[in-house]
Amino acid sequence: MSIAVPVIDYKALVQDDRIHVSLYTDPRIFADEMDRIFTRGWVFVGHASEIPRSGDYVTRELGTQPVIMVRGKDGGVSVLVNRCMHRGTMLCTAGRGATRTFACPYHGWTYDLDGTLLGVPYPGGYAEFDKSAHGLRHAARVASYRGFVFASFSPTGPSLAEHLGRATKLIDRSCDLSPEGEIELSAGWVKHRCAANWKALPENDSDGYHLGFVHLSLFKTVPQSQYQRVVGEEKAIKAVVRDWGNGHLEIDWSPGYQRPFEWFGNASGPAVERFVAALERRDGPEVARRRIMEGPAHALIFPNLFLGETNIAIVQPTGVEECVHWHTPMFWKGVPEFNSRLLRMSEAGMGPASFLMPEDLTVAARNQAGLHAATVEWLELARGFNREVEDAEGRIVSHVTDETINRALWKHYRTVMAVA
Amino acid sequence: MLTDTERQAATEFVYREARLADEARYAEWHALWTDDAVYWVPATTDPGADPEKHLSHIYDNRARLDTRIKLLQTGHRYSQEPASAMRRVISNVEIEQAEDGELVVSANFVLAELSVQAKHEMHWWVGRTTHRLRRVNGVLKMRHKKVVLVNAAEPLPNLTFLI
Repeated sequence: MSIAVPVIDYKALVQDDRIHVSLYTDPRIFADEMDRIFTRGWVFVGHASEIPRSGDYVTRELGTQPVIMVRGKDGGVSVLVNRCMHRGTMLCTAGRGATRTFACPYHGWTYDLDGTLLGVPYPGGYAEFDKSAHGLRHAARVASYRGFVFASFSPTGPSLAEHLGRATKLIDRSCDLSPEGEIELSAGWVKHRCAANWKALPENDSDGYHLGFVHLSLFKTVPQSQYQRVVGEEKAIKAVVRDWGNGHLEIDWSPGYQRPFEWFGNASGPAVERFVAALERRDGPEVARRRIMEGPAHALIFPNLFLGETNIAIVQPTGVEECVHWHTPMFWKGVPEFNSRLLRMSEAGMGPASFLMPEDLTVAARNQAGLHAATVEWLELARGFNREVEDAEGRIVSHVTDETINRALWKHYRTVMAVA
Repeated sequence: MLTDTERQAATEFVYREARLADEARYAEWHALWTDDAVYWVPATTDPGADPEKHLSHIYDNRARLDTRIKLLQTGHRYSQEPASAMRRVISNVEIEQAEDGELVVSANFVLAELSVQAKHEMHWWVGRTTHRLRRVNGVLKMRHKKVVLVNAAEPLPNLTFLI
């Protein structure tokens, strides 16, 4: 006997100008997302600088699947499922550590850093035992770009380069601010609980419409913040949203910036001068000038990596109506004297006690609560159709308050989810 | 040598500070601080945490603390609008006098927060505080407050009330 499982019609739920409420509330859809987006698709795991030495590891969750990102004896990075192949015991419970092997506390099975099963106590209990068939499950593909490690459990499908496409330029924009061209994530992560479906986070990260409303307390208190030029008269706002394809989305504040380092609290002084000189030596004055005017990217790399200007953030789904937002400051190698400022900016912008994200996550939770109103089925997504344009490189660009990139997120979502 | 009078004054200060925080009396709470204030909530329980190397939940100097209070006073800090209903219990108080004369008050706390800004949920916050108090023109003030939450490194809900 077989049970007929109704197939969810994602093309009907995600329309060009509206989306269905079940996308935020239906546990079957959440299960599909964990499979199609977070298991088979490319997902951000962590940064190579978090595990500098052989044996260093961090634990993460890809969707709801616990994994270990570990640097092996050969210096390569593996993404292993954090579960003993014998009876399912979680192997590592700490957020990070350093080890020579992974040993299961239950019956003592031990695994090498690449997941190879090394030892099974009392082997006399098996007539024949093929250790090579019991190594840890691991991501079929692990690839990185400028230290950003991504994994996919599907052995086939688009390569990471194909998935990222032109959006590598967004990662470049952030990393190239380091005089050494490398970022380092060593400050530790803060994790912020959110009582909303995980998609609320990438949607809000890509929403340039809410700033003057959700963050009114900030604008009233700190009128000279780096976001001052995206509130006020609609026509005077120069910032834009830009669709980079494949669900990768950008809010570009920089057209509104009038001076270098507006994105960096208008930093000045000898350390800043040395920094500018280092960029000029490497890139020439013109490119260096562009970098310090524009600042790092504000962009979502689909589905779970947020380049949050001077922060790196991870979107972690934990259930259909809850998720966790992780963040850490992006340190630029070559300018450690900026780290203190970067830490303080991080604490101001993100995390449960910061001056921005608590308002975002409060509104996200209120959205989630509102979506329980069962008599209203659809969410609007039509803002900006009237004025978005395609730029010379084929990217759709529009006014920062338009829903152009929210639509781009959903369009990619529909493509991924409609493949059963 | 720490006198009983000083000991009692320090304890009463910490109780009063807690009550002002519980009742969202922002201006009065703000007035408890010295000008060289440091308000620190690490994002780890590791005693070796260094706020110049590691990310914290809060690491406010006086200017940042002033901004934090102003945000709450705008009426648009939606993560605390309306303010959470709160009560905290303070216990296991230990008081020492530092070499510089500051009173160092360490205590455990349990705080019940009814978060009412989105869903109505009870959140429990538990940890240990260390206050460093000093007299300014005869009045006891708070120069340093460190709050180590037992779950500092875990995913936390909004922490925009006064902890």
